[in-house]
Amino acid sequence: MADLDKITLDIIENALRNTRHEMDAVLFRSAMSPVIREQHDGFPMICDPQGRMVVGQFGSYIAGFIQQWRRGIAEGDVFLVSDPYSCRGAISHINDWMVLLPIFYDGELVGWGSQFGHTVDVGGPVSGSLPTDATTIFGEGMRIPPVKLFDRGKLNEDVLDLILTNTRVPVMNYFDLMAIVAACRTADKRVRELCDRFGKRTYLAACEALLDRTYRAMSALIEKNLPTEPVSFEDYVDDDGRGNGPFKMKLTIWREGNVGYFDWTGTDPQAPGPINFLLNEEMFKMFIGVYLIMVFDPQILFNDGFYPLLRVKIPEGSLLQPRFPAALGCRTHALARLFDVLGGALGRQAPELSTAAGYGTSPYLLYNGYDENGEFFHLMEITYGGIPGRPLGDGMDAHSWWPLFENIPTEYLESYYPITVLEYGSLPDSGGAGYHRGGNGVHKVYRFEVDGEIAVHDDRERSQPWGILGGLPGQSSSKLLVRADGKAEPLPSKISQVAVRKGDILIYRTAGGGGWRDPLDRPVEWVLKDVRNGLVSREKAARDYGVIIVEKDGRLAVDQQRTESERARKKRERGDVPIFTFGPEPEPIGVVREWRSTRALTQSDEPAHV
Amino acid sequence: MGYRLGIDVGGTFTDLLLFDEETGRMVLAKVPSTPADQSIGVLNGIEKVAALAGIDPAEIDLVLHGTTVATNAVLEEKGARVGLITTRGFEQILHVARSQTPGPLAGWIIMQKPDPLAPLHLTRGVSARMNARGEELVPLDEEEVRRLICELRDEGIQALTVSLINSFANPAHERRIRDIAQEICPDLPVTISTDILPEFREYERTLTTVMNSYVRPVMSRYLTGIERKLHDARLAPTVNIVRSDGGVMSLDGARAKPVNTLLSGPSGGVVAASYIGELAGYKNVLSFDMGGTSTDVAISTGGEPRIVRETRIGYYPVKAAAVDVRSVGAGGGSIAHVPITGALRVGPQSAGAEPGPAAYGAGGTEPTVTDANVVLGRLPPRLLGGEMQLDVEAARRAVARIGDALGLSVEEAAQGIIDIVNENMFGALRLVSVQRGYDPRDFALVAFGGAGPLHANALAQLSGAWPAIIPPTPGVLSALGFLHSDIRNEFSQTVIRTLDRIDASEFAQIFAALDEQARRWLEGEGIPAERQALDYQIDVRYHRQGYEFPVRVHPRQFASEEGLEKFVADFKEIHERNYGFNIDSLIEIVNLRVVGIGLVRKVELQRVAPDRTSLEEAMVETHRAYFGGKAMETPIYDRDRLRPGHIVRGPAVITQRDATTVILPEHYGQVDEYLNILIYPDGKGR
Repeated sequence: MADLDKITLDIIENALRNTRHEMDAVLFRSAMSPVIREQHDGFPMICDPQGRMVVGQFGSYIAGFIQQWRRGIAEGDVFLVSDPYSCRGAISHINDWMVLLPIFYDGELVGWGSQFGHTVDVGGPVSGSLPTDATTIFGEGMRIPPVKLFDRGKLNEDVLDLILTNTRVPVMNYFDLMAIVAACRTADKRVRELCDRFGKRTYLAACEALLDRTYRAMSALIEKNLPTEPVSFEDYVDDDGRGNGPFKMKLTIWREGNVGYFDWTGTDPQAPGPINFLLNEEMFKMFIGVYLIMVFDPQILFNDGFYPLLRVKIPEGSLLQPRFPAALGCRTHALARLFDVLGGALGRQAPELSTAAGYGTSPYLLYNGYDENGEFFHLMEITYGGIPGRPLGDGMDAHSWWPLFENIPTEYLESYYPITVLEYGSLPDSGGAGYHRGGNGVHKVYRFEVDGEIAVHDDRERSQPWGILGGLPGQSSSKLLVRADGKAEPLPSKISQVAVRKGDILIYRTAGGGGWRDPLDRPVEWVLKDVRNGLVSREKAARDYGVIIVEKDGRLAVDQQRTESERARKKRERGDVPIFTFGPEPEPIGVVREWRSTRALTQSDEPAHV
Repeated sequence: MGYRLGIDVGGTFTDLLLFDEETGRMVLAKVPSTPADQSIGVLNGIEKVAALAGIDPAEIDLVLHGTTVATNAVLEEKGARVGLITTRGFEQILHVARSQTPGPLAGWIIMQKPDPLAPLHLTRGVSARMNARGEELVPLDEEEVRRLICELRDEGIQALTVSLINSFANPAHERRIRDIAQEICPDLPVTISTDILPEFREYERTLTTVMNSYVRPVMSRYLTGIERKLHDARLAPTVNIVRSDGGVMSLDGARAKPVNTLLSGPSGGVVAASYIGELAGYKNVLSFDMGGTSTDVAISTGGEPRIVRETRIGYYPVKAAAVDVRSVGAGGGSIAHVPITGALRVGPQSAGAEPGPAAYGAGGTEPTVTDANVVLGRLPPRLLGGEMQLDVEAARRAVARIGDALGLSVEEAAQGIIDIVNENMFGALRLVSVQRGYDPRDFALVAFGGAGPLHANALAQLSGAWPAIIPPTPGVLSALGFLHSDIRNEFSQTVIRTLDRIDASEFAQIFAALDEQARRWLEGEGIPAERQALDYQIDVRYHRQGYEFPVRVHPRQFASEEGLEKFVADFKEIHERNYGFNIDSLIEIVNLRVVGIGLVRKVELQRVAPDRTSLEEAMVETHRAYFGGKAMETPIYDRDRLRPGHIVRGPAVITQRDATTVILPEHYGQVDEYLNILIYPDGKGR
């Protein structure tokens, strides 16, 4: 690092940070599918020549790719991959198309730009390529192993034709793919500009130093935040869409010196259905780091530098490390639950700094068919839910837990798809009570305007998002299909290929977030405000908050005296509050019931590579 | 021929610039702002500038006023109690918003979300419903509407907003609700969404409309106050209010649509920068306005500021035409710190005006960008023409803390602070240039604001935007921009249609209707036909893309095949520039728009004839300053004594009352006939 001073390092850090945002801007503005464009399901990254992430969100998988790839890497190449099993889960279902672009300067590899985005359809038996009943990845759709989309700058049209032929929406996917490539080219251009400006050696030294900076920060964080004795936390994914569940995810954490151990032993075996999450070890390390660093120096560039400080064990054949060719399409529930479990495990050490659990998945609605003009349409919408109660305040109502995702405007939906949104807001009372309450879940009512087929993807239908330090759990999710003739059919949280007729109505509700700390201490004026705003009912105010609200001269007001005695009584009867408050444990169904009953005989998941 | 007056009300000072229409003379005045009631400062200023010019204030016949009344009401949450009527089932539209939480992962943990500007308990849903084609699904129930309006009235709302789903396609329900509301409460200001923004995407349209209602009573009170005070002073100038897009509108216009004034202040600077650039011979300019707490940057091409249709005011994305200004939390008062990761960070925290940088000697101890400039000798110890003495030792003590944390000397630490803040500002410049497909090397950089001229040379170096132009009065540029503003308003209609389905005669009809609205508005603003101009635009994108670009068109362009082809070519060129690719896919039209413009007579800066004053006569003294780690004897010049033709070689510091300009080693500043300083690298220039 001879020619690298600290200031240059900071300047390069700033420049890379700006580039990342520029990549996002290019992608979101030029992509075509609403999932990427309006909802922002796409993620950028810039890596060093060895493939370690210098800036980005998900941690790098490029090192693994470089090890595997045998056909050479040249200037002008652009790689495309969508098969999770070909990249050790760096992307975790086949809808995510990931582009990797090696960046060359003076003929030498100086880094990588990468971006992936969720494409709307990649073939297979079900429109949207997320069948809830798939049992292998072959039943989901097209897998793209690592291929050269551009070979030394030349578009590989054969590959392009092949993959576009295998999707129901070739134009949209083409657009999205080119937008992803354009974002990677932005990284390419900016990194080469930095080499122009500071020299190649300095740039590379800066990448190294940035990795080192995160290493040092994380080292301190691990010593401060991880327990020396193992602590465990467990939570559930409801079911696998094939009548089996719930699936337990269990994480045990501890530290030895400045090295943190994260062990998933005790997690249930892989599911027959498609909810398996092929968890990439590096990606999981990244999630841990992000969680810890948020409180520390939020301006820091998260990168891969701290990986040597973390040891991860994920048992083979478990929900988080399924064996090929297990189905993976609906892995979003386990991915989200991972954060609940991680937060819970870390929270045992410092619960007052931790948050409760949230709606805990990315709920989707898919709807396809032929519109009035006989044209095929395919809609995929991601909805959101209740954000957990947090030290800073209430969880937001009907907001996205993933960063930067947005909802699709109703006027956009109704302009482009044969659908009418009759109601859209948050569901009163669905957030768990707390000093800071959990956010309410989404309440959305759709009417289908032509015959077609829908799919629903959600979770937290059987288990509830837990509360912390006396905060109560949030309400679970539900779906109700009301036929045009008035007959109502509850739908399970995971189902695809449900035939709908013109005029059918779907009531779509996602889970609320858990509460943070004791609801009996929540200031009465906050409770009153929620009731006046229609976010909490008077009944819930009395039941969970002990706040008695009465009508006085046509206005709602708090009965102070009764509230005081009610709160005192409730506290007395309840006693001390636990760290975590869970809903009732879901009853086992399907094959999981059998595993549970034979569990004692087969449990031998000793850490292998910790 | 009388006088035209530009007034820019800032947080600390109110700037006034008086222009003599006959002689072209300009007179400048600065008075303290009066935040509690800005109109007091304005009137004080009018008196002062008239006295300085030796004229009777009554001779001023046109006042162009930039105001932050609306912006402050939003940022300080001091707007009206707004009621909202929306579609039943969507009562939480502002509360749920776009559901977005900030990045990175887990960013929701630290998100701060303000309450809706129209509170939930003052929001009501009506059962009426249109579909996206504008067909009525559920008719309006007038009894229900009356009941809801009475409920809101009894809740004591001060303004009412009506915004219904799909009203962009058919505003009939909204209009009828407005009529009923006016019948029931004749004094209540009612705003309907299709009057403010008849474009699709319900959240942004509702928010923008509610924001209009939120600031309407405040703005109305303020404007009435100005009118009364002027009347009491026996003054009767025409007063125009500056809009966020750099145009101006009448007091009545501002009363009805104050949402269009949220970036009133910054827009003046951008317009002026583009004018200054043109005077100096550059039609493409980056404007760079660096103040105490933040820096605003924007872009002008072909002599016109780039206008965007969405801008962010605090948390809120407001859809109203505005100059494309990007703001970063980097200014003279930005504080440097070293977190535990050992990085050097500058801002976004700021020492503000109080206590301010350590060097101001007002109790500040945090190391700021200003302190770094003092340590490096780029800000000489005496500021404001000798009125203010800087505390060099305090600045060194503050900056030394950064040096200690990083193991650097105090000068190295100071240089680091400057480099980092420059890089942050360069990031913002890139957002408005490179990210929009413009190469900053094709632009000149116009620097203003209190700290702009200090950093202009370095920013030009980073971006390659030469020359860096320092206007003669960098501290009051916005007011100059106001003098230049045309009267302007937009009229639009959403028509979502792929190109293969458009009907040329229908488009001509829509444009004719918008045309009619624009002309009627211009007449209402008192603009005679010969000074009216109309600009036609169509927002267009590829089918189902999420963002559209405005393409300038001729209203009957679609009647011919060539016209259609030109339209496609124009769109593809813009798409290519912004995204770097095009595709063989359907093109889709989204909005038709007519911009009505009332042209004002342009202000002209006077040329100054060269005289015999030598450069040596402008030099005040030399002192020691640091550049690139080396101490150099650096001459300090008095800007007032610089004359056209003077060439100032760097390193040099040029002081004037409202700003200090730095010219780096191996650069030179050339004074042009308008007394602009144009900074170039040695060996480059004209």
